[in-house]
Amino acid sequence: MVEVLRDKEFLVKEYLETRGLYSHHINSFNAFIDSDLKKIIQQNHAVRSDADPNFYLHFKNVSVGHPQVDDGFNVTRNVTPQECRLRDLTYCAPIYVDIEYVKSGMKYLRKGFIIGRLPIMLRSNRCCLYQKSDAELAKMKECIYDSGGYFIVKGTEKVILMQEQPAKNKILVEKDSNGVPTVQVMSSTVDKKSKTNIIFKKNLIYVCHNALEENIPFVIFMKALGVCSDQLILQMVGTEFAIMNQMYPCFLEGSKLNIYTQKQALRFIGDRIKKMGFSSEDYDSRVITEVHDFLSTVILAHIPVTNTNYHMKAIYTSIMVRRLIFSLSNPDLFDSKDYYGNKCLDLPGSFLSLLFDDTFKRFTFELKSVADKNIPKVKATPFDIIKYIRTDTITNALVFAIQTGNWSIKRFRMERHGVTQVLTRLSYLSAIGMMTRVNSQFEKSRKVSGPRSLQPSQFGMLCPSDTPEGEACGLIKNISLLAHVTTESEDDDAVLQLALNLGVEPVGLYSVDGLHEDYMYLIIFNGNIIGSTNKCIDFVDKFRRCRRKGIFSKFISIYISERHKCIYINSGDGRLCRPYLVVEKGQPLLTNAHIDDLKRGYCTFQDFIDQSLIEFIDVDEENNCLIAYNEEKIVPDTTHMEMAPFSILGICASVIPFPHHNQSPRNTYQCAMGKQAIGTIALNYQHRIDTLQYNLWYTHIPMVHSKAVPMINYDKLPAGQNATIAVMSYSGYDIEDAIILNKASVDRGFGRGGTFRNSKCFLRHYPNQMMDSIQGPIIDNATKKPIYKHRALENDGIAAIGQPVFDKQVTINKATPKTITVEDVGGDRGFKETPLYYKGYDPSYVDKVMITSNSDCFLIKENFRQPRRPEIGDKFSSRHGQKGVVGLIVDQEDMPFNEVGICPDLIMNPHGFPSRMTVGKLIELLAGKAGVLEGKFQDGSAFGGATVTDISNELQKHNYNYLGKDVLYCGIDGRPMEAYIYSGPVFYQRLKHMVADKIHARSRGPRVLLTRQPTEGRSKDGGLRMGEMERDCLIAYGASMLIIERLMLSSDVVEMDVCKLCGLFSYSGWCHMCQKSNSVCRIKMPYACKLLFQELQAMSIVPKISLKKYCD
Amino acid sequence: MRILRKPSYRMITEAETPDDAPKKALIYICGACQAENEMKPKDPIRCRECGYRIMYKKRTKRLVVFNAR
Amino acid sequence: MDNPIIMNKYSIERTLGNEIKPYNYDEFVKNFKINIISRSDNDLEFDLVGIDVAVANSLRRVIISEVPSMAIEKVHIYQNTSYILDEILAHRLGLIPLKADPRQFKMKEDENSEPNEHDSLVYEMKIKCTKKDLDALAHKQFISFPVYSKHIKWLPLGNQKDIFTEKDVGIISDDILIAKLRPGQEIELKMFAVKGVPKDHAKFQSVCTAWYRMMPNIKLLDEIKGNDAVLLQSCFPKGVIGLKSVKGVLIAFVEDSRKDNSSRNVFRYKQFDNKILLSKIQDHFIFTIESVGAMDPSLIFLEALNILTRKVNSASESALNQTEI
Repeated sequence: MVEVLRDKEFLVKEYLETRGLYSHHINSFNAFIDSDLKKIIQQNHAVRSDADPNFYLHFKNVSVGHPQVDDGFNVTRNVTPQECRLRDLTYCAPIYVDIEYVKSGMKYLRKGFIIGRLPIMLRSNRCCLYQKSDAELAKMKECIYDSGGYFIVKGTEKVILMQEQPAKNKILVEKDSNGVPTVQVMSSTVDKKSKTNIIFKKNLIYVCHNALEENIPFVIFMKALGVCSDQLILQMVGTEFAIMNQMYPCFLEGSKLNIYTQKQALRFIGDRIKKMGFSSEDYDSRVITEVHDFLSTVILAHIPVTNTNYHMKAIYTSIMVRRLIFSLSNPDLFDSKDYYGNKCLDLPGSFLSLLFDDTFKRFTFELKSVADKNIPKVKATPFDIIKYIRTDTITNALVFAIQTGNWSIKRFRMERHGVTQVLTRLSYLSAIGMMTRVNSQFEKSRKVSGPRSLQPSQFGMLCPSDTPEGEACGLIKNISLLAHVTTESEDDDAVLQLALNLGVEPVGLYSVDGLHEDYMYLIIFNGNIIGSTNKCIDFVDKFRRCRRKGIFSKFISIYISERHKCIYINSGDGRLCRPYLVVEKGQPLLTNAHIDDLKRGYCTFQDFIDQSLIEFIDVDEENNCLIAYNEEKIVPDTTHMEMAPFSILGICASVIPFPHHNQSPRNTYQCAMGKQAIGTIALNYQHRIDTLQYNLWYTHIPMVHSKAVPMINYDKLPAGQNATIAVMSYSGYDIEDAIILNKASVDRGFGRGGTFRNSKCFLRHYPNQMMDSIQGPIIDNATKKPIYKHRALENDGIAAIGQPVFDKQVTINKATPKTITVEDVGGDRGFKETPLYYKGYDPSYVDKVMITSNSDCFLIKENFRQPRRPEIGDKFSSRHGQKGVVGLIVDQEDMPFNEVGICPDLIMNPHGFPSRMTVGKLIELLAGKAGVLEGKFQDGSAFGGATVTDISNELQKHNYNYLGKDVLYCGIDGRPMEAYIYSGPVFYQRLKHMVADKIHARSRGPRVLLTRQPTEGRSKDGGLRMGEMERDCLIAYGASMLIIERLMLSSDVVEMDVCKLCGLFSYSGWCHMCQKSNSVCRIKMPYACKLLFQELQAMSIVPKISLKKYCD
Repeated sequence: MRILRKPSYRMITEAETPDDAPKKALIYICGACQAENEMKPKDPIRCRECGYRIMYKKRTKRLVVFNAR
Repeated sequence: MDNPIIMNKYSIERTLGNEIKPYNYDEFVKNFKINIISRSDNDLEFDLVGIDVAVANSLRRVIISEVPSMAIEKVHIYQNTSYILDEILAHRLGLIPLKADPRQFKMKEDENSEPNEHDSLVYEMKIKCTKKDLDALAHKQFISFPVYSKHIKWLPLGNQKDIFTEKDVGIISDDILIAKLRPGQEIELKMFAVKGVPKDHAKFQSVCTAWYRMMPNIKLLDEIKGNDAVLLQSCFPKGVIGLKSVKGVLIAFVEDSRKDNSSRNVFRYKQFDNKILLSKIQDHFIFTIESVGAMDPSLIFLEALNILTRKVNSASESALNQTEI
């Protein structure tokens, strides 16, 4: 019997605390700064000039400083993220390099030269928040529960979302869109990306590549790679009967083309490479070098080639073919693109290194062209390259890319949009939910189910619930609580060495004959064949032991694929993995004693990893493991055990109590809705000046919450309240999921919240020495009080703090100079008013006014707040995807009450249950009731938590009905109700959709200038469109005069003169066409129609109006 | 209505640049050290105590009436 | 009564209201009883026997929604630099219960009229937190200075200071937390309390809540003994079921069915099927009034009766007027 581990969830808590929930973003950024950046600069470290062979410029020793801000006058100062948010600055740090360069024949060295500024990810190791205590964070006005992992660019918080990508350097056998069996490899190295296909078409095998104009027969390709003997080719692919059968026509094809030697094959390929425009002389040798170049660096680029020795490439290709041929007869061998091992996640670090690589190359190229241009010129001062180094090339490129999300890397012809997104600060959950989001590159409009559906290999790595509905369904995913995304390992050499030491025989060593023997396993390291072994199990076992001993990174995975007869070792970045308890001999290595030690703080989670009590397993390696769900399920073969089952869910789904009792889509709905729930968005919410911020006055910790809730700090920044609900029908205003609120509850603060909205303005300096200014309020002479418009203003022309502002009142009385250009210095010194108005149906209060100066202008930001009491039509939801609007607010005396005088805050209609099957909500109510009576929070963790029987017993202990149903007396007639009513506390969220933001009506109002029709949309005080379908109704009804009224008279009616002879518009009663006035009639028509006719006339199309008497 | 009210309040005339307008310097609070700074228009925005560049307007004593509901 | 309300396993069988008995004044006078069960300063529990449910409910409704009381209605905020936003502060202040007896005040006729001694009470709170205040706190773990209701001062209007003392019209409790201040923060405001009805806003409620339940009646239809008797006892609140030992066997009997709160847990166990009859006596109401503290609960009840009588009178008056036309 296996000892049951107590409080395993404590491991999860400890893990999340030490590693942080969002470490994948931060780790990857750190890796970018610490290693990628150095590599990039090393690779492009030299700038030389064609003009002067002695000139050079070397970049050395790159380092990144701490975030700074330039305060003008060349004063720089360290800056906090909060200051950047408030002042609309970019949180970025200088990139220092040491440069060595030649000036007038002398060598100079300059240290710590700034070549640009790099936006810094919050909480990365360059951020000033890195490893700061809570008190220090509070001092910097930063929320201690903030996730970090995003950037601040010009005051807005931007996240580089994780992107899901097909894994690189993997052989995938698939059928292409035409059903042709294909084996595909996406090669990717630091500086090359290419896609190679081998297809099976008309019984023949071809190699295809984008750089080739037509497909190359496989045999010829092999010959070009130097494998000229047909026998050798066959041996490489394999000598099984099925293979020989398929290969036979290929060999025939080869001989038909009369290609026997490598040179012939190279010529053959050379004729088919795109863009070859050589003159006839010297043609031959240049073609050959070109083809050699193609073979070594373009096709299957990830396989290194030295000195035109293509042996490895030949073997690799033949293995591709081998796999293709086997798949023909056994469809099971086709790979799936959707299998998560064949995916990798691109993290911000890799995006930034792509971008930085590109911009740095451009930067050096620009320097080179400057040198080329300037060195030949003879000047008084010697050419000094330093003067030409512009820091803003790199800065602007990085800032621009992060700001817009447009990633264009010219080298890879990559043009991506929407890589970054603004961090949604709607609620705490929405902000942290964004940090775990995985975006898929897949077309949203394509109607395919494969990439969208949940793949078994995603288990434990991606949240099964948290995905949007609609077009992005299944394409946007979220990683689970415990999932970890690997970053590039530094131990590749150690792994290679170790593999050789463990008895891997390099492939090139012996004849290829034995390669495909049954006992032989190929070892593929990051997509490269490094050798083979005949002691597969032994090798893998030893390898894993070494990993557990810590000889190389814990995140390097190894697994045996029996299908492929391969052992894969992966150390690359972007693989998803997650920690499991190691089980040996049917016993988890981690014991209760360990957990107790952890609780007492004697050891850390990292110690367990170091001791290999806990191991990271990636998607591929999971295939070799037998992972037990809990201690009970351990069998002799078990290799690992789950730490805590609820950790398969993501952040948003962790908030749901008893999700395992709910119908699956309900959990998905809640995942989307939790992000709209208003609450406290961050501890520093009063210091933030966001465009829009919602908050709830009195937030509660949910009575029933899962073990994951404290881990994600949802209990410290909750978004909702525990409402006492009664599940019953009441008044008929509760149909279609509407809810009934108790007015007294609302009076006492249930669901109260507010919005914060900002407005900002700049005070600019102009070229003519003028500057925007702010003017004081205009005083009414009679009353000695400011006029209505200026009532909120103080003497400085800015609204007073705490003052209510009403519609069309001025909040900043700005004035702009009438002349601003240099030409009219000394011209008109007058000002014109350009005030900032408050706009809105309801008044707001001025919350705060911030004044700051940026390098070139003053910036004034105002924050307005508006209290929002729940009203009819506001949206509420429980945590089970059960949303509903307030249908009625009922006085307390009309509400039902129970035997102890409690009356519910909220009444919900029971019809919400049968079709939704949200049993979790029923249990939440029951557990919440027991929790309230017992005075403790209840556990509603997924796949665990309190049981209904226990809760029932607890209720009975407190003299409540064991089913949670109470006798309720009707508040209106006073009699006990015939039914027992299920009632108790349920955590309710107030959603951001509020009537006050949506209410809209208009009688008269603004019109669009062009068409003279009413404007559209609430923000423009627009009309309510009578659309086609509404019009159809009127037509069907026959209300023709009403149609005329709605569509013309109430809209854009215009009176036009029309000539009844020529049918054209006349003006002022005179037809210019007919030169007559008696033929002109005056008619009413829609202005849009008149406009159309005139526009058609402008296009030389003459629409003519024929008029008829009304009675004819 | 508007025409009638027009002469009753002071209009901004062209000659009246904001500098002429009587202006009482208001107090602004430094975002870092909470020091109170008196500032006039066109003063550089910078705390005299600590040099911090974010200032908040100080709330003046003004009556605001709220309904306690 | 002959028609009790029977509580079944899944529903309540109520015959109440289905039969209309002609009203008989003499019978009413004979049967009607009020027994006060318990009373303390703020709580009152009494039995209302021999009355129609409609009357009992009307009284409850009037207490909850129409018995007036004093509450802070307008808050004039002069300065508030605390973290509590103005409107939240105002809302919190509004909900603070006052000791003032509403009967000594008039309803404000015009909402915007100047407050006078007959219809308003004025309070003031001026508080500024200094570093010293914070250090002086007994509990050193506080990082902020709590503002309690004791910091609210009453400002007498007109001749109010001759009539009332701070004790009469102050805040009910001294330790209602209003806000928390950090050094340098201050709150300065004036509050205006008026008389109002709870229908308008819950802050005017003079009761925390008032409600009734119908007198439970438990009948054991069969003898229950042994372990079942113990189990039965556990299905009810303490004191409902008693156990007596008859020849060494425990036998359950109904000790005090009044203490039952309709939890109906007997239905959880099969062995009690058809052995117990749970019912409610339909003209016996156990009425509880929990006063907020401004008025004695019995006064609240009387006030409610007055209001109800006035309503009935005005209804009958208008009915009479109707017939005259």
